Amino acid sequence: MQLFRKFIQKVFGNLFKKKKHVRLGLYGPPNGGKTTLANRICQDWLGEEMGTVSNIAHETREIQIKEQINIKSKGKELTFNLVDTPGIATKIDYEDFLKHGMKEKDAKVRAKEATKGVIDAIKWLDEMDTVIIVLDATKDPYSQVNITIVGNLQARDIPVLIVANKMDLKKADIKRVQEAFPQYDVIGISAKNGQNMDQFYEGLFTVAG
Amino acid sequence: MPHQCVRCGTFYDDGANEILSGCRCGSKLFFFVKKEDVESAREMNIKLTRAEKKQIEQDVFDLIGFELDKERPVVLDLESIRILKPGKYELDLVHLFKKEPLIYKLSEGKYLIDIPASFKAGRKT
Repeated sequence: MQLFRKFIQKVFGNLFKKKKHVRLGLYGPPNGGKTTLANRICQDWLGEEMGTVSNIAHETREIQIKEQINIKSKGKELTFNLVDTPGIATKIDYEDFLKHGMKEKDAKVRAKEATKGVIDAIKWLDEMDTVIIVLDATKDPYSQVNITIVGNLQARDIPVLIVANKMDLKKADIKRVQEAFPQYDVIGISAKNGQNMDQFYEGLFTVAG
Repeated sequence: MPHQCVRCGTFYDDGANEILSGCRCGSKLFFFVKKEDVESAREMNIKLTRAEKKQIEQDVFDLIGFELDKERPVVLDLESIRILKPGKYELDLVHLFKKEPLIYKLSEGKYLIDIPASFKAGRKT
């Protein structure tokens, strides 16, 4: 329903105004797959990767930008600057990193940088034209982080596309994500395997195009 | 209301000269502590080692210090970010999303860093 409404808005909106460069932000909790999705998009359209991914949370601790990505689908074209943001969290504890074999000194630096990353990600929110919220479909979507991000985007009237990532995993449950955010369209993908990316790009065109 | 030096943990009463000129230890970064939180702030102050306090002070500057003038005293109040000890942070997303001034909290001691520039729009990609 939201997609249809956005489509109508865009069709009539574009009669008067043509956005040249959409700034597309990837937001979400840590380890949801934001950078994996950013890499997938960049691989699909630029043939190169954007950032490094890791099983340890908070791998992305600085805003990463890839400019001028041009995607095409069914005769339509969209150019945007892709902004990959650090994962947003309510608690960052260096001891969590120690479990992955990291040295205490490095873990504390990582925690500090991750904290700064959260502040930066939130600061950048107002700069976004469209936001893709990347959620881990194997996890409970009713978290404080998810609810706060979605609520704030809604309040700022920024178009949102929710991605239920990691659909290749057995525990993934897209229905749970859809039930948590019924006002939004939720697209299930596996950014890692490239599963369902066509539907993702179609959704992107509808929301941001 | 008392203020507490971030580096050495010394408490000063509201209006004390040190808050304006800097702590005797040389630090110019203070936590604003609510009266009802003074006791727990004192306890926390005892638990943290000197090195940990110094690290927290450094971390605060690393996090937002590029916006601060180190030569001027800064009082930290309210809480968007709580530093329990070096490497342990709790973030209040509701405060952060509201774009209120960045606020740091050490245990029950409260601190405010007002960085009007931090939320300035206009970044270009």
